[in-house]
Amino acid sequence: MTAEEIAAGTPKGPRPLGDLERLVMEQLWSAEAALTVREVHERLAETRDLAYTTVMTVLDRLAKKKLTERERDGKAWRYKAAAPREELAADLMRDALDRAGDRREALVRFVGQVSDEEAALLRDALARLEARDG
Amino acid sequence: MITPILLAALALVLAGPVPALLARADWPYRIPRAAVALWQSVALAAVLAAFGAGIALSYSTAGQPGEPRFDPSSSRDLAAAAVLALTALVGVRLLWAAGRVAVGTRARRKRHRDLVDVLATPDGLIPGLRVLAEQTPLAYCLPALRGSRVVVSVGALDRLDDGELRAVLAHEQAHLRARHDLVLEAFTALHTAFPRWVRSDVALEQARTLVELLADDDARRRNGPLPLARALVALAGSPAPEAAMAAAKSSTVLRVQRLGDPEPRYPLQSAATYTAAVLLLVVPTFTVAAPIVKAVVHALG
Repeated sequence: MTAEEIAAGTPKGPRPLGDLERLVMEQLWSAEAALTVREVHERLAETRDLAYTTVMTVLDRLAKKKLTERERDGKAWRYKAAAPREELAADLMRDALDRAGDRREALVRFVGQVSDEEAALLRDALARLEARDG
Repeated sequence: MITPILLAALALVLAGPVPALLARADWPYRIPRAAVALWQSVALAAVLAAFGAGIALSYSTAGQPGEPRFDPSSSRDLAAAAVLALTALVGVRLLWAAGRVAVGTRARRKRHRDLVDVLATPDGLIPGLRVLAEQTPLAYCLPALRGSRVVVSVGALDRLDDGELRAVLAHEQAHLRARHDLVLEAFTALHTAFPRWVRSDVALEQARTLVELLADDDARRRNGPLPLARALVALAGSPAPEAAMAAAKSSTVLRVQRLGDPEPRYPLQSAATYTAAVLLLVVPTFTVAAPIVKAVVHALG
């Protein structure tokens, strides 16, 4: 299954909704003002076949995850992103790089940063390995 | 009176000198899987022995097992009750810490995953892979029972060739498959359960290093040592945006140097280590259980 098929909502578990969340958030981030479900649906329907109720579900889930905020507008709800994209991206990077140093078990990084001294040792060790195997 | 003293001594030895010696030795790095088992066993045996000491001490002070009798005017009985209460307190604290670490880690991970899912693009190379449009080189995994993620930044992709990327992904997938995060979580809980002035970092630090070695071994078996070593150097050697963290001694040098050694196979050393791990658990368990079993048998008889 390609990314496009997933994004188009191929029926297979909860995954398609997950990817729709990203597409819906992108609409909210690029919009000038808060959008109704219908407006989000119209924007997404330009490029893909999508049920109105699916958009409703996704917006609802995003609100539960505190990624969107909604307000009443007559009979409809208007949704907007809870924070600008750059702000959430900064949050994510802060968490991932663990600047506070207190959340290392939440995610396991491939490799941390090293000091200059260690970087030199690393290059030596790699050079020996390359000479043998390379 | 001899049992509580022996158990308390065992607990102290397992909490202090044994971890210090183990952390200084080189051989655990050759057999990371058995070494993780040994560390788990040392930690669990220390806790069991400490509980056993508390329970046995309160027993030996308060007369014969099977003849429960509490006299508030006797200082012996009051001391026994105090020891028992203290033991229970340590137990509650341990459970509380475990619960707090479990809940906190999951909440943090869920929030992080929610952010990843709306900010990063899925990539079909492996299931759960997300590519983050950030220049900082970064690769990590978010473990979960289902819906785990492997996150790689564009900055990391720029620094890796195909083989190196495969090595990184194999390493992260090994973490996810073996749920190394659960191993670390247990050591974190133990670590946070004790006040700052008695606990030490060695067990947690060693566990962190050993699970990295385990994931490295998995990636090496799939793609050979060279791409993995290159990937480690490429991602660790990049300019550090968080310079403060670089001050801490890292296991990266050890990991790359180790990839230069032939594929580690030490069946005898592994077997000996596993045996030690089992024995360590059997002794305190038996000593703790023995008086209770004796009391039960006595009560039934």
